[in-house]
Amino acid sequence: MPPAIELSGVTKRFSDQVALDGIDLTVDHGAFCVLLGPSGCGKSTLLRTAAGLENPTSGAIRIAGKLVADVARGLHVAPGARDLGMVFQSYALWPHKTVRENITWPLRIAGLAEAERKSRLIEVAEMLNITPYLARYPSELSGGQQQRVAIARAIAPRPSLLLFDEPLSNLDARLRVEMRTELLTLHRQTDSTIVYVTHDQVEAMTMATQIVVMNEGRIEQDAATATLLSEPQTAFVAGFVGNPPANLLTLRRNGTGWALGAQTIAFHSLPLDHETVRAMVRPARIGLAKQPGERRVAARFVEALPFGAQHFIQLESDAGRITALVDDWQARAYGSGLYVELPARPDAVFDSDGARLT
Amino acid sequence: MAIDAKMGGRPLPFPVGRLLTPTFSVTTGALVLIGLLVIVPLAGIATALASAEGPDAISDVFTGRIARNMLWVPLTNTFTIGFVVAASCVLLGGAVAWLVTMTDMPMRRTIGVLAALPFMIPTFAVALSWTVLFGDDRLGSASMGLFAQLGFDMPAWLAWGGVPVTLVLIAHLYSIAYMMIAAALVLVGRDMTAAAEIAGASRAQILRSIVFPVVTPTIIAAGALCFAEAVSSFSAPAILGLPVRFHTLATRAYGAIETGTPERGYVLIAVMIVVAGAFLALSAFLQRRGQAFTTVTGKAGQRGRMTLGGWKWPFALAALALVITTTIVPALALLFSSLSPRTGALFTDPTLHYWFGASDPAIAQGQAGVLRNPQLLHAVWVTLGVGAMTGVAALACGLVIGSAIARTKHGAMAQLLKQLSFLPLLVPGLAIGAAFIGFYGAPIGPLPSLYGTPAILVLAGVAATLPFAVQAVASARAQIAPDLEESARIAGAGPLRILGAITVPLAAGKLIAGFVLVFVKMVRDLDLVILLYTPQLPLLTVLAFRYASDGFAQFAHAIAVIILLVSVGAHLLASGFGRASQPWLHD
Ligand SMILES: Nc1ncnc2c1ncn2[C@@H]1O[C@H](COP(=O)(O)OP(=O)(O)O)[C@@H](O)[C@H]1O
Ligand SMILES: [Mg+2]
Repeated sequence: MPPAIELSGVTKRFSDQVALDGIDLTVDHGAFCVLLGPSGCGKSTLLRTAAGLENPTSGAIRIAGKLVADVARGLHVAPGARDLGMVFQSYALWPHKTVRENITWPLRIAGLAEAERKSRLIEVAEMLNITPYLARYPSELSGGQQQRVAIARAIAPRPSLLLFDEPLSNLDARLRVEMRTELLTLHRQTDSTIVYVTHDQVEAMTMATQIVVMNEGRIEQDAATATLLSEPQTAFVAGFVGNPPANLLTLRRNGTGWALGAQTIAFHSLPLDHETVRAMVRPARIGLAKQPGERRVAARFVEALPFGAQHFIQLESDAGRITALVDDWQARAYGSGLYVELPARPDAVFDSDGARLT
Repeated sequence: MAIDAKMGGRPLPFPVGRLLTPTFSVTTGALVLIGLLVIVPLAGIATALASAEGPDAISDVFTGRIARNMLWVPLTNTFTIGFVVAASCVLLGGAVAWLVTMTDMPMRRTIGVLAALPFMIPTFAVALSWTVLFGDDRLGSASMGLFAQLGFDMPAWLAWGGVPVTLVLIAHLYSIAYMMIAAALVLVGRDMTAAAEIAGASRAQILRSIVFPVVTPTIIAAGALCFAEAVSSFSAPAILGLPVRFHTLATRAYGAIETGTPERGYVLIAVMIVVAGAFLALSAFLQRRGQAFTTVTGKAGQRGRMTLGGWKWPFALAALALVITTTIVPALALLFSSLSPRTGALFTDPTLHYWFGASDPAIAQGQAGVLRNPQLLHAVWVTLGVGAMTGVAALACGLVIGSAIARTKHGAMAQLLKQLSFLPLLVPGLAIGAAFIGFYGAPIGPLPSLYGTPAILVLAGVAATLPFAVQAVASARAQIAPDLEESARIAGAGPLRILGAITVPLAAGKLIAGFVLVFVKMVRDLDLVILLYTPQLPLLTVLAFRYASDGFAQFAHAIAVIILLVSVGAHLLASGFGRASQPWLHD
């Protein structure tokens, strides 16, 4: 089966700004692909370009193997002919149509017969628990109900590809968790491919089969969830993913050692052909000590956050802020001094541009 | 301290204390204010019609020998003007709104700013500027317009009567339609049309099934408002219609009251109220149904702009022509006319005589220039004073009524207060003036007649502008989280102290904007004050009207320029205070 969607070399430029910068992305049929990245990185633009709401500046897009956009050939298939559904962050329900009309109008546009429209309506309304509200107007529904209607409207035409743009960001925390489970069930039931945009990594980690981390219009890494955490490909991913994200320490070469702030420390297996590198060290691999020593850096205590039986300890050092995860913690005064012990080998090393070295 | 404690709600030993509990006293105050300002005067018209002469006047007007000239012809004229104006305003205002908010038309920001201005230019000024451009010599050479002077043969229908009245009202009112429809179009988010596009809908289907239905309630409301304003207008038909005996209900009612048959005037005024009010009430009803779909939650999406392609510049130029014709052209026409030595000689030998000149028996029967004329200077002060007093008084009433509405929250009392305070919107200015003459123009018990005092002008002004004052207070209140006031109440502060210490300081910006709006409405108003005016209390608009009817065009036009400057200047100041009056221009 061909990939559900395939973008090759897609660039999107707005007059003064590059929103997408040479995107290559393949999403397999049946995947739950999450686009993750800080706000403004181009996630919505990618989705809207895939949907055909924006024309790419260059590149090509295939959906289920069929070419739907190719700038070189001047091809641009209309959004309605791409066999996809989209759920917007604003829900975008038509305010003058009832819930029933919101769901059935697209079906009528698609030319479905009355009986078929009715059975689809019943089916999606039941799937999303909105049967009691079919006669209401969107403004008469709560945020969570509006969200369900928006999803029902998108899946009723049974598109093979579903696009979600931060669909849960306007819901409260409890509803958000509830809807995550429902979306997963829905994914299973409808046998569709989902491309899902969010800036919330918990959402991404819990739902995705494939996570695509974006930054400044580019893809930083495209991987399965576990890989993303264990093997970040760029310094951006290392500093963005994880809760809390790993420490990124800037090291300057000093003879055979490495200067971290004012101190020089011996690290194993760091590439000596670089002047500056950025070392990723996970909080769990950082120890705390009362005395100075080898690979120990002076630091001041800032804050302790309980995390299950453990504590995340925030510290301030010459080399910037450092987070440690420790088992035992005795309360301390703010600003009191202690030493951070770094591991002999960082978890990953990046060059000064953020590319992975080891 | 002691007073505060009492007002804080601690029961007093006397039963009268109940009247002093904050909620009760504020609500009572609000009801008394609305009663005195709105209900009683309007009821006065009804009483007059029920009085001894009332029934005769009614039958005269409806079925008598004069019925045709008194009622039916003016009514037909009024309706025709109302419908043509409403339809044209919705078309023009809607088109400009669509171009400014939904397309990539060049210069749309400039056009948007200019399109909001015509509403700030008083109708009578636009009407006077019409005579400057299109007047003919039917009324003697004094009314020769620019085109007639240039040798064009002005057809009579273009110089005077129904056509110019209609066009002048359109030029003034399309701007309201623009503001309303633009605000509604902004609600049609980019995502809403995108969702339809994804469903496979064509452009035509999207316009027909999504965009139009969403803005329809607003289009209806805008049409109804333009219709009501057009049928209520006195100044446009008075300046452009009366000289050729073209009458609307307003001019007929005015004529009847001025010529000593006020009962007939009241009958006509009642007809006007019904005609204007019915349409507004109908639209309010449709609006309420429509509200179900104007408020949608969720984060509003960005707006996409339709590309006009090759039509870009034709559209931009057409829109620009419209907004310039309705703003800069009338202003310049009035200015140049006030600088011309004689009427009928625009652009030849410009002179400042009509502005600064000393009395010269050879010119204009020896009248001095407007800025040297004691009567006029007096009028400037009276006008500004009455405007400022009305602004302060209206806002004070708005604050009392607003507090009462807020305190009674969602109860039936709040609804009643809201409805009643918006009632004056349904009543033409001329009718409010007539009602005040009828009621406060005669002594009431021990109280003397207010006729001829500034008080009656201020009271009528407050009544007419009450909806705007209440609205300004409401939007100012929206700036303040309710818990701020509530925490002050818990701390034991009385209503006056809360008003002074919390509400007013926090809401100052919106309140200033509200004051300026009321002030300007008063300064440029002619319809309301035309019946209340006395020679001891000269007002600028009335003087301009009198000068124009007596053939002293330059003086009239100079005064119009002054009013126009005050009006536009204050409005721009106020929209600076109120900021986001056109948020769609800033994205
Ligand atoms: N229609 C547009 N016109 C101009 N710039 C845009 C438009 N849409 C998005 N952008 C810009 O492109 C960048 C990416 O935006 P977006 O895709 O919305 O980011 P995200 O969804 O990741 O928050 C942003 O800097 C945004 O300002
Ligand atoms: Mg986005």
